[in-house]
Formats: sequence, C-alpha cells, structure tokens
Amino acid sequence: MATIRIERESGDAESKATAEAYAHAGQREILFGLYDDEVTLLDAVRAANDDHLDIDDVYTPFPVHGLDPLLGLEESRLHIAGFIFGTIGCLVGFGFMTWVFTRDWPIIFGGKPYWSVPAFIPITFELTVLFSAVGMVTVFYIINGLGPGAEPRRLHDRITDDKFCIAFDVTELSTTEVDRLRDYFDRTGVETVHQKTVAA
Amino acid sequence: METFVFSSRAKITTLSLMGVGFLCLLISFFVDGGEGHHMRFWTNFLHNSVFFVGIAAIAGFALAAFTTAYAGWFVQFKRVWESFGTFLLPGLFLMGVLIVGLFTHGHHLYHWNDEAAVATDAILEHKSSFLNKYWYTFGTIGFMGLWYFMIGKMRNISIAEDKDDRDTKFTYYKNYKFWAAAFLPIFGFTSAALIWQWVMSIDSHWYSTMFAWYASASLFVAMTALTIMLLIYLKSRGYFPGVNQEHFHDLGKYLFAISIFWTYVWFSQFMLIWYANVGEETIYFRERMDNYPVLFWSNLGLNFLLPFLILMRNDTKRKMGTLFFASALVFFGHWLDFFSMIKPGARLTLIELTEHEGAHGEEGDHAEMGAHGEEELGHDQQAEGHDGDETAALAHGEVVSEGDNLEATAGTQNDVRDNGNVHFDASEQNEGVPVANDFAGGSPSTSGDGIDVLASAANRTDADVFEPNHYIQEENVDDTEMLGHLEVAGGHSEATHTLGFKSGYTLPGLLEIGTFLGFLGGFLFFVLSKLSTARIEPKHDPYLEESLHHHT
Repeated sequence: MATIRIERESGDAESKATAEAYAHAGQREILFGLYDDEVTLLDAVRAANDDHLDIDDVYTPFPVHGLDPLLGLEESRLHIAGFIFGTIGCLVGFGFMTWVFTRDWPIIFGGKPYWSVPAFIPITFELTVLFSAVGMVTVFYIINGLGPGAEPRRLHDRITDDKFCIAFDVTELSTTEVDRLRDYFDRTGVETVHQKTVAA
Repeated sequence: METFVFSSRAKITTLSLMGVGFLCLLISFFVDGGEGHHMRFWTNFLHNSVFFVGIAAIAGFALAAFTTAYAGWFVQFKRVWESFGTFLLPGLFLMGVLIVGLFTHGHHLYHWNDEAAVATDAILEHKSSFLNKYWYTFGTIGFMGLWYFMIGKMRNISIAEDKDDRDTKFTYYKNYKFWAAAFLPIFGFTSAALIWQWVMSIDSHWYSTMFAWYASASLFVAMTALTIMLLIYLKSRGYFPGVNQEHFHDLGKYLFAISIFWTYVWFSQFMLIWYANVGEETIYFRERMDNYPVLFWSNLGLNFLLPFLILMRNDTKRKMGTLFFASALVFFGHWLDFFSMIKPGARLTLIELTEHEGAHGEEGDHAEMGAHGEEELGHDQQAEGHDGDETAALAHGEVVSEGDNLEATAGTQNDVRDNGNVHFDASEQNEGVPVANDFAGGSPSTSGDGIDVLASAANRTDADVFEPNHYIQEENVDDTEMLGHLEVAGGHSEATHTLGFKSGYTLPGLLEIGTFLGFLGGFLFFVLSKLSTARIEPKHDPYLEESLHHHT
C-alpha cells in the first residue's frame, strides 16, 4: 500500500498558537471528510478558501497537482539539504581517493598518474548521488516523524488507498462552527464525514 | 492571434544578419586563399551548416519522440518544431555545396578525399568503402531528403488536421503518429552515419563509437535552447498566450537534463579513450588539450558547469530572464562544441596539405636529410616524424625520451618491457598491422635498467598530466602521414609539436562569429516564414487541451 503523503499547512501564527495551547491537553479533535476524487477535492479546497475556512491539513494517497498553491504551501526546502549532502559526498569521494592514491597507498594503474582525475569522476559522481539521496531521505524522515519504529498516524486507512481527505481541527470550535463545517462538507460533495480524537 | 505575422522589422533583422554572415563568408574565402586552401571558409561553412541542419533534424526527432510517447505538453508550440524541421530543405542546398566541393576538390576538408593520401595510407584505404565521396553524396542527399520528406509529411498532416472540422476519429492524429514512429528508428541509424561522414571523418584516422551520441546530445541541447529563446520572443510579441511558466519549466528541465546527458556522453567518450590509451584514439584529445586548451576547457565550462549550476534551482527555470540567459549561453556553447570538433582536425589536414606541397621544395629536403641523418647517428638521436612523399622518412617514428614529464608514468611499463629495443626498420613497420605496434616502442635514453625506471616512476607523486600514448608515432607508420606532424619526438622538434594560436582555428574570430550570426539569421528567417504559413497552434490536435492545462 502506498504510503501516506502528508501535505502540511504552513499555517498562520494564530493557529500555531492555538495548537500549542492545546498541546498541553495532548488531544485534538479532528473533523475530516473523505472525497472520492482529486478533482472534487481540489474544488472543495477552493470552496474552503472562498469561505475562509481554516483547513488543518489535506491528505491524499498520491501527490495532487495544483494542491500546494491552493493550500498556500511554500516550496519545499528539502532540495537544499540535497544540495548540501551532494556537495559533501562529492568532496568526500574525491578527497578520499586523492588521499588514498597520492598519500596513503600510491599504486600505478595502467600506466596512469597517481592522481588520475578522470578515473575518480565516476566514483565521485556515485558518492554525490548516494550522499544526497540518503541524506534527503533521512532529513525527510526526521522532519516528518517517519521512519523505522515511528508510530503511523493516519486518520483513516483508506487515505493510503483511494480516498482524499480534508481535515479541520475542531478542538476549540463551537457547535455552530462545527455545523458550518459539516454543511460545507455536504455542499462540496463529500462521501463520508468522520470525527476522531488524535494525539496532538 | 491565430497565425504568426512575420513583421517587417523581424524580416529586416534576420535578413541583415544573413547579410553579415554572407559578408563574413566572403571575407574568409579571400582571407586565406592560396596557401590556406580556403580552409577557414570551408570549415566555417561546414561547421554552421552541420550545426543548423542538425538542429532542424533534432527538432523533428523531438517531435517524433514526444508524439510516440503520447506526450501532450508541447503540442501548443509544436508548429515551431515543425518549422525547424523544414530548414532541412535549405540545409540540403548547403550540404550540396559541400558535395560539389568534394567532387571538384574545391575544398580539402576531408583527408579521405585526397586520392594520393588514400593510396599510401592503409587506414584510409581500409575506411574508403565508407569514407568516399559517393557514400557522402548518397548519405547526405538520401538521408537528409528522407528526413525532410518525413518531417514535412508530419507537418502537412498537422496542417490538414487544422482545416478539417469534422474529423472525430483522430485519423490525422493517428497518421501523424505513424510517421512519427517510423521516423525514430530511421533517424537513429541514419543520423549516426551522417555525423560520422560530416564531422567525425575530418579527423579521418580517428574514430569513436560514442561520437554520434555525443554530437546528437549537443544538437539536442542547442535545439532546446533555441526553442526557448524563440518562444520567449514569440510570447513577448503576444503569441502563444497558453504557453506559460509550466511549459518553460519543462523546457528548462530538458535543457538541464540534456546538458548533463551531453556531459555524460562527453565524459564517457573521453574516459574510455583516456583509460585504454590507444594512440590512434588518444590523438584526438591530445591534440585538443595541448593546442586548444581554452577551447577544450571552456567547452566543458559553458556546456556543463554553467547550465548545471544556473538551472539546478527550481525558480531559474521558471523565470524568463535566467532561462533566456542560460539558453543563450549553452546555444553558443554547443556551437563552440562543434567548432572544437571540426577546426583542429581541419587545421591538421591543412598543415598536411601545405607540407605535401612543400615536399618538393625546401621542406622536403629538410625532411629527407633529417631522416638519413638519424639513421647514421643511431638510436640516441631524434627522429623526426616528417613524411613528405619519402617512405624512408615515413619509416622512422622513433621516440627518444628526454625524460620529460610525460614519460614517467605512461611510459614506465613500456620502458620496462622493451628495455631499449626501439629501432624499427621501414619494411617491418610497413607490413605491420595497424595498432599492433602500439606499445612496441620504448625509449632508449630513459630505459636502461627497468627497475630503476620503475623506482623513479614510483617516486613521482605529482604526475597529474593527462597522458595519451606518446608512442603514437610508432603505432603505425602508415598513420604517420598525419600523425607525424603532431607527435614529433621530444627534443628540438618540440616547437613543432605545439601549434601556435591561429585566429579562426584556436578560437573563433570575428569572421566565425559573423558567419554564425548569418546562419542563425538565415535559419530564423526560414523558420519564421514557414511559421507564418499555418496556424500557430494546431487547433484540432487531441492533446491541445492537455497542453493548455499543463502544470508541473
């Protein structure tokens, strides 16, 4: 089964403050609706933006084109980590081979100079790719609280399969506001609406 | 705006560029006549013709490949590529001029077209079933004609599709797809054969199996860069309202990716040759690194480092300014790449020609004397790789090492193995199979005791010089016809080893830049006038909607 892709909302200062306040209680009430189709989902997100509803997060089984700008997500900075790790890998690979073949254990291969740069390039390239790939995955896991041993936090099993989810944090909302959200779900063609208490 | 209007201002600009180019061609024709054999003119002509013909053909390839892959994003501007493809028609004319030159011996671009040289040269003779003027003519006219026919067919189908409002079964599209799929394998094989003939055979002893890949990757980048620049221009004139950042982002990704692919192929070719260290292959890079270092390294800087660093970021591919800048950079860079494929080889052919003529005069005597003198003096003397017509001179490709940097590592193994056994007599070498003698040579003055040499080599830690096989002149005496000029053994003949700066060969001079602009103007003039003959967007293409709503 495909892993869940988490679209995090950048969020304004206010909602962050609220979340922090309720973090002490350790519980959050989440109201979420499941949609059948990504087109319906995109329309629903647009409707939520028009109604100024504060979406907590959107969960989809696969990356949905055009969702990021609607949710106001900033461009991921993961590739910067990738660049840094790649540079490290490049320098480590090249530096290590230089040290080995010129200082530590110089051997003539095929009549070539000890410091034969062209022969180092493929390995340097491989290490660049390896470092940047492993580094990016590690950073991604750490940032998102994923990885081996991590407790999977999913609202609904079918989000990892074929359902598209819009979630609202209703911990401190009044009943009229919650009704307004339910009404919004009905309007936008939701399939099912659920409420769940999750750890903050 | 449904059709492109070729404004008079654009016409004047492109036509005056053509004028500049024509003038530059004319000047370069007269500037090195006589002894120069008009080589500068012909190389410029070949260089630019091949470059723009290649761009036209690669545009057809991109069109065919994307169509076959069910891609939709490019469909809005596919007329631009279809128009690029039609440049093959003037391209046929341009290459036709070269063919005429081949038959009339108006130019001496190709060493293999020199009957006298082929007769005394085993390698050229061996290759002569492919490298001859009839094959060249057949390939150029036949293959290019076929490409033009197929790309033209695709363009015609696409235009006919526009005019038929009742086609609900996508018959045009299916037909288009058929021609696209048929074009791919045909282009794949024929383009390789043509680029060997047109460009690789200038260094007519040399060959590389990576060359066709390398040249096509180069052309693909150039084509993408030109497309980006042209689209930015057309958008600034109000055309292609539906072509947005997303399309440019994708084109930018192609520019980035194929630039890296080009580097990959370039490096693969380089490293295989460097590692194997076979003289008849290394000669290509040795020549370029020793005598054209600026060209050689700026090629890598312009076509790999800069686009790699500039286009790596997401937003540089989405901003028109940076994208245009990067495109202009690599477009010129790949033009320079072709420059470096063509000029050094042609310059050697020119030197060969001049000395060939001079062989009857002063220079010939000198060569002869040198050869005889060497025989008398024995092994410790320098042999000059001079050829001329004299076989006696040809026979001696002896190397005497002066213990220069180049010897220490690459030479070590040979030195140890041969232990001073160097001297070949003429008959032995002439009978030898090419390549077989490659490592046979040694160097008497440094070898002596093998262990000493090994020890001295092992002490070297700073041997960072690129080292092709410098026994190259021994590998095959038949080959010395050409190689003798480059690989003259050490000592006093070192001066001839390094070719001095020569404008138009070492680096592009003003005439080359002018010619380039002229051909660019001609290309754009033709493409834009073709673009104005049909709707600028194919309105019935089934993938148009996808292209209009493309986002990455």
